[in-house]
Amino acid sequence: MRWLLDPFTAPFMQRALIAVVALGVAGGLLGTWVVLRRLAFFVHAAGSATFPGLAVAGPWGIAPALAALGAALGFAGLLSRLTRGSATSTDAATGLLLAAALALGAVLASDVYPSGTGVDRLLFGTLLGLGDGDLWLAGAVAAAALVASAALARTWLASGFDPAAAPALGIRLARGDWLLLALLAATVVAALPAVGALLASTLLVVPAATARLVTGSLPALLAAAVALALVEGVGGLLLAYHGDLPPGPAIAVIGGGVFALVACADALLRRRRPPEATA
Amino acid sequence: MSALEVRGLSASYGTGPAVLRDVTFSALAGQAVAVLGPNGGGKTTLFRALLGELAPTSGTVAIAGDLAYVPQTERARLDFPVGALDVALMGAYARTPWYRRIGATDRRRALDALGRVGLEDRARERFGALSGGQRQRVLIARALVRDARVLLLDEPFAGVDRASERAMVDMLDDLRADGRVLLIATHDIEQARRWDRVLCLRGQQIAYGAPAQALTTSVLEQTYGAEIVVLEDGRRAVAVQHHDHAHQ
Repeated sequence: MRWLLDPFTAPFMQRALIAVVALGVAGGLLGTWVVLRRLAFFVHAAGSATFPGLAVAGPWGIAPALAALGAALGFAGLLSRLTRGSATSTDAATGLLLAAALALGAVLASDVYPSGTGVDRLLFGTLLGLGDGDLWLAGAVAAAALVASAALARTWLASGFDPAAAPALGIRLARGDWLLLALLAATVVAALPAVGALLASTLLVVPAATARLVTGSLPALLAAAVALALVEGVGGLLLAYHGDLPPGPAIAVIGGGVFALVACADALLRRRRPPEATA
Repeated sequence: MSALEVRGLSASYGTGPAVLRDVTFSALAGQAVAVLGPNGGGKTTLFRALLGELAPTSGTVAIAGDLAYVPQTERARLDFPVGALDVALMGAYARTPWYRRIGATDRRRALDALGRVGLEDRARERFGALSGGQRQRVLIARALVRDARVLLLDEPFAGVDRASERAMVDMLDDLRADGRVLLIATHDIEQARRWDRVLCLRGQQIAYGAPAQALTTSVLEQTYGAEIVVLEDGRRAVAVQHHDHAHQ
């Protein structure tokens, strides 16, 4: 029990706990839509797309989170513009913009503004030094994810289920899609300090993908994804604390392990019982 | 009075050339109109123009009441965690403000609609686990929840077995008896002969009228061109390639 509770007597761990709980709520709720709408690559790319923002934040005197948010929202906006009614697939457009963002970031960091301090930390996350601003941002995306999940669930469901038929149901496709991408971009940015840009998927993809294996309805999927994100997030913090690891990789290891266990158990159970009759 | 009246309708995608020209027809309440034509002939374009998703470059459309679109079921994501009832409830989305839950009246209406298409006992079943014909009926139930007076059905018999097809024809007859107008896109001439009117399209309107008058040899040749196959007994069938007209 001491192994479980003692770490959280330290103020920096309390801050990390607040951040991970807020990010777990946002990650579980929005992650459900990431998995259903096949946006995992976007989540990964949005994290990396913050690079040019982070490279200019120091030299320009902007808060890194704000610069990263600007870069990620710009990325989401460009992507939704590029794919709207065009022949370019979301995957191809994401890859294109990701390459552009990384190239721009590399040029800015190496040639234009060589003093890219703090970039490493933001790519992999840290337990130490989560500031008030980081916690407020995590809380804000959690609140936004809760409100959006209630208000936009029908839009996201109908447009993901059958985009061609959604407008005829009164669904405003472009607005719903843009809001989802913007919220995801904001959540990725909020997750940067704790888990890092390269491992934002650990909270935004892995828990929901695991929950998807064993749930059959949307409410069950949302609830299970949030529960898993919270458990894996807090477990990851403990592992990071005791193992002296950065929190991003620790949460990723636990998330990956849980996914593997659930996938194996599901496969074994399926083999034992006859397949469901399809009418 | 016509429940649906279309005059001189032309439509194009963006600033491109017109893909549908000069469509003029009207339908009375309770009539079913087969919209017949080859792939790329303008059936989907006509539906999109009627739905207001595509601004007509000329012409007018007058509709008495609401309009609903019944898409092909294989366009939907069959792996989505939605039950038949969830899909039927989507018909209530347009009238439910974003800050409200779907009301009890609409839930009852959705269950009634599923009952009407013979699937009340399947309400909880996952949409993707239903057969093609059952999925098509769920999508029709969704249009009923919308309480649409005009239903646009996109190839409703594609991928549906014979038994389900008969059940669906009975169900569509039932909807006609309500006074609803049905527009049924098809590329199957035998299917088109079943309905009250037939509208032949190939980029423009080739003919409109009762099947016996409209489906002449010359109209069919103009509609299908080289795709047509004449059977030995003089009846005609169409050599159909699999439809894929979503991206026009």
